[in-house]
Amino acid sequence: MTAALSSISPLICLGAAAVLVMLLVALRRAYTGMAALTLVGLGAAFSTLPLMVDSNPHRLFFLMLNGYTAFYAGLLILASAACVAFTFSYLKEFERNREEFFILMLLATLGATVLAAADHFATFFLGFELLSVSLYSLTAFPSMTQGHIEAAVKYLVPASVSSAFLLFGMALIYAWSGEMSISRIGHELRAAHIHADYQWMVAGLAMIVVAMGFKLALAPFHLWTPDVYQGAPAPVTAFIATVSKGAVVAMLLRLFTPAEIQTGSTLFWVFGFMAALSMIAGNLLALFQENVKRILAYSSIAHSGYILVAFLAGGARAIEAVSFYLITYFLATLGSFGVVSALSTPGMERENLDDYRGLARQNPFLAAVFTLMVLSLAGLPLTAGFIGKFYLTLAGVGAALWPLVIILALTSAMGLYYYLRILVALFVLAPSGGDRRPKPPLSFSNAFVLTLLAVLLFWIGVMPAPVLNLVRAMVG
Amino acid sequence: MNILFYMASIVAVIATLMVILEFNPVHALLYLIVSLLSLAVIFFLLGAPFAAALEVIIYAGAIMVLFVFVVMMLNLGPRSADEERSWHPARVWFGPFLLSAALLAELLFVLRGGGGAGFGEVSPEEVGIALFGPYLLATELASMLLLSGLIGAYHLGRGYGEARRHEPGPVEESTP
Repeated sequence: MTAALSSISPLICLGAAAVLVMLLVALRRAYTGMAALTLVGLGAAFSTLPLMVDSNPHRLFFLMLNGYTAFYAGLLILASAACVAFTFSYLKEFERNREEFFILMLLATLGATVLAAADHFATFFLGFELLSVSLYSLTAFPSMTQGHIEAAVKYLVPASVSSAFLLFGMALIYAWSGEMSISRIGHELRAAHIHADYQWMVAGLAMIVVAMGFKLALAPFHLWTPDVYQGAPAPVTAFIATVSKGAVVAMLLRLFTPAEIQTGSTLFWVFGFMAALSMIAGNLLALFQENVKRILAYSSIAHSGYILVAFLAGGARAIEAVSFYLITYFLATLGSFGVVSALSTPGMERENLDDYRGLARQNPFLAAVFTLMVLSLAGLPLTAGFIGKFYLTLAGVGAALWPLVIILALTSAMGLYYYLRILVALFVLAPSGGDRRPKPPLSFSNAFVLTLLAVLLFWIGVMPAPVLNLVRAMVG
Repeated sequence: MNILFYMASIVAVIATLMVILEFNPVHALLYLIVSLLSLAVIFFLLGAPFAAALEVIIYAGAIMVLFVFVVMMLNLGPRSADEERSWHPARVWFGPFLLSAALLAELLFVLRGGGGAGFGEVSPEEVGIALFGPYLLATELASMLLLSGLIGAYHLGRGYGEARRHEPGPVEESTP
């Protein structure tokens, strides 16, 4: 029992940190202390990840504990730590209760980690719900403007519908196969089409894909994305765009990799259609936006589409490409929403393109970081985004997914336009009359995390080998 | 055996449809209770009397009573007396009554030994052993899920109250 508990100690750390913060908040509200404790909890969870890798047996408590899980759990925990750091200065001037934010963040991270580790429908669903339920409250957290509430409702309704879909899909698959273990279902999937009553499985899978497509913001399930990204507080937007997505990607790979989706099968068409539609819709719709958060939202829809291209390529190479791409996507997305959050307060999000005019003169550091992040999202050379996209394309070409690869290339080129619009806004002069808004000073925590993200982004862009080897060793 | 299941299912589907189609929230809640009761009957038929009992006690009992109270409190106002009167006509309660009567008839039939589950019965003891044996982590995660909901409800409920006290007028978009 002790050995079993030690191999899930990252989860225990996250849960214990949440409960500890809650109990301490009941005694005394110490904002800085609680933020520090949250980071300590996340750090403890991260440092116990090796125990997860060494776990023997690999299946415990309906979780799959191996290098793959540890890799994704580590990625999610680090991303969450960055979001906590952004939150710290974002909520600094907030006058109402703010310590609850950290409790919810820890619980959401716990949910995401469980989702990434789940090997059973029970843990899958619980992780999914824990993530969603914490995010509802996080989205509405400041409730300073109608926008927060509106975003929370717009997230709540589709998210609960997608949970219902997920549950129904699980029920159908269980009814058909009598199986709740994710890895065994994956293997059943490979042989499933020889059975006559295969349609039960297809119906169940379709429902699960709908639920996952919702969380991944894949077209045609993306309609909530821009509104929620815009209305949510900037650190929460960063969390939704990275942690929530990353956990579902981990689950998607775990569920469908053993199925070995063949070119031309039903699943292939479904995912191929969603990938193509996401790339096209995301990049096209982003062209018409005047709001930075909405542009980034549409860009994240497009990025989900890119990820699906490599996912469809299948095999070990695909898992590597997707995992590596996810690192680069996490860095750039966290960085860009980090800049937005550094410039925003709960009552006043700085989100319109016009608000960013002249930023290069006002705050050269933030403008430089933002430039690097946007270039990486666009996939230009010397940034991590380029290497990531290169591997995605390579995986796609290796599996001869020509239509998808061509769409990827064309839509990426199209995407340059709106990424460049952000850059142009940063470097043009501020409109006459100057900036009307007070600019919050750059806090140490924000500066530290943003510098770290920028350095990593550049380092991976120039020298990807160490990170690639790490990904290969953990995920392969 | 199957016919009992289908009857309960039809009741569940009709009641749930009525929840969505009813305009009056209290009427909708009445149907929701019937829908939950029919689920309890289905659980019972499947050989899970413990789950059925929990469904009745927790959902149809505690939570629904809470819902009904909240909705009735929200409806307080000058119109409430008229509404109270309008709740009484027979057509309001006749639908839920009919559906629950079907369920009751079914339940009595089953209790008199009219049909076993066909599967083994799951006793409360077995449920407990499963929850604190193989499903230990899942149980703990469920408690974390409740914690998350609780904290969210506490924070958001509280935040609104303060906002309303500080701002006398209706909340407006804070665009300068």
